[in-house]
Amino acid sequence: MSVDFILFYAFAVMAIGSALLLVSIRNTARALFLLFIVLFAMAGLYLFALADFVAITQILVYVGGVLILLIFAFMLSNKSLLSDIHTVSHRLTALPNLPSFLLASVFLAILLFALSSWNNNMPEWMAAAEADGSLIQPTENNIRMLGFKFMTQYVLPFEIISIFLMMALIGAAHISRKGERP
Amino acid sequence: MTDLIVHIIVPVAIFSFIAAFTLFAVYAERKIAGFVQDRLGPMETGKYGLVQTIADILKLLQKEFITPAAADKVLFAMAPVVIFVAVFIGFSVIPWAPDFIPADTHTGLFFIMAVVSIDAIGILMAGWGSNNKYSLLGAIRAIAQMVSYEIPVGLSLIAAVMITQTLNLNDIAYLQGIQSPEPIYFMGFWEVSHIGGIFAWHIFQAPHLLIVYVIFFIASLAECNRAPFDIPEAESELIGGFHTEYGGIKFAFLFLAEYAMMFLVAILGVVIFLGGWNSPLPNVGGLLLADWTTGLGWGLFWTILKSFTVVGVQMWIRWTLPRFRADQLMTLCWKVLIPAAFVCMAISGLWRIMIIL
Repeated sequence: MSVDFILFYAFAVMAIGSALLLVSIRNTARALFLLFIVLFAMAGLYLFALADFVAITQILVYVGGVLILLIFAFMLSNKSLLSDIHTVSHRLTALPNLPSFLLASVFLAILLFALSSWNNNMPEWMAAAEADGSLIQPTENNIRMLGFKFMTQYVLPFEIISIFLMMALIGAAHISRKGERP
Repeated sequence: MTDLIVHIIVPVAIFSFIAAFTLFAVYAERKIAGFVQDRLGPMETGKYGLVQTIADILKLLQKEFITPAAADKVLFAMAPVVIFVAVFIGFSVIPWAPDFIPADTHTGLFFIMAVVSIDAIGILMAGWGSNNKYSLLGAIRAIAQMVSYEIPVGLSLIAAVMITQTLNLNDIAYLQGIQSPEPIYFMGFWEVSHIGGIFAWHIFQAPHLLIVYVIFFIASLAECNRAPFDIPEAESELIGGFHTEYGGIKFAFLFLAEYAMMFLVAILGVVIFLGGWNSPLPNVGGLLLADWTTGLGWGLFWTILKSFTVVGVQMWIRWTLPRFRADQLMTLCWKVLIPAAFVCMAISGLWRIMIIL
């Protein structure tokens, strides 16, 4: 068992364990900080898929941006609003729990289907890539390739995302304006 | 197995360097404060007060662990660790000398930007976990400031990276001296690939990069919550901000993180804009000063000398300028630094297309 394997399983256990703890914990503040551990461990798992750019973006966007926003929203919301969350019924079949119950069971079905159709072999395209030696090595410069792809093959989605973000920015600026202006 | 030992020795060495640097920097800070305010600074402990900071740290280390009764114990204990580790990981991709770098990755700069943003989570943890109004207000002010100032830092770094075309900090430093794999031009017209020295640094490779460095320097001061941007700590209004409740070794770690952050942004600016390990002395005719002062030992010497100079300037500014008001802080960030950084980014793109290619 090499160091890589130990690290991989450590990240996996960290991600799953803290995710389970996150959904069962009563303290909302601690749950938000547990989400940080989950996202961080996920970034660690991306590194094992040689997706270092995705891993770092995950930390930059989710931890540095989204999570801080969540914690801010939590800190600025009032106490009676938060206590509503805790009064939800804990029976599995209660009506407010139905959508999440459905979602979870569908996801479980997908996982079971994937497990049953997995035959312990590499997919053909992966085996073919390994045969003709067109695999990405850990030492390669993925960022240059990503830049080229963004500006050529995926330029339309890339630009649409930037317009979408621009709309969000303008919307935020509009909402935060004080009252009516002449 | 030797790999594993190297992986252990390098962080320990960097940690000892940061600890030693903090001891030295606290003493230097107090002496500089004394000089600026026309007094002597620490003079009692040892000759010229030299062992004052060692006495301070010994006092901190033997203090009792105090946790407020109403605090969230887990978050309170975790916060200093998260804050320090976030800054400490940043050092893993910093080059100290030619090819003398703990992790030579292609994503170096991007990695630093990401891990430094974890710092903010740690501060929120400390502010919330302390269960104290001043701590919470301090933490919220700190986050508002850090999240805003991450934008000019990021934009100024992008403006520099558009010229270098790489995120690998080792390669970026190589592009600013006599060992550069590509030809270098001083201000875009005078080839200095074999002259090197101060003329080959990034701030002199294009005229706007000097402005970019100033933007980076100001914004990075705000990132590490130093005066004149120390609104999160603001002793006179908020007692001590997010670390009001901390004492003993936990406070020592917060303090260590602050000084490590100062050094990290200083060395990052040095590597990207001020030539990294490259010598400031140019080759003048037959006098090959740049060739003689390049190498492993010289590289370490120049990196550390330049970083200490930048840290010295940070301290000088801290004791010279008064603190900004919160609205002035945001005005400076959103109405001055960010538009200026955007203009510089556009100039960088044009410069790359028109002048270099």
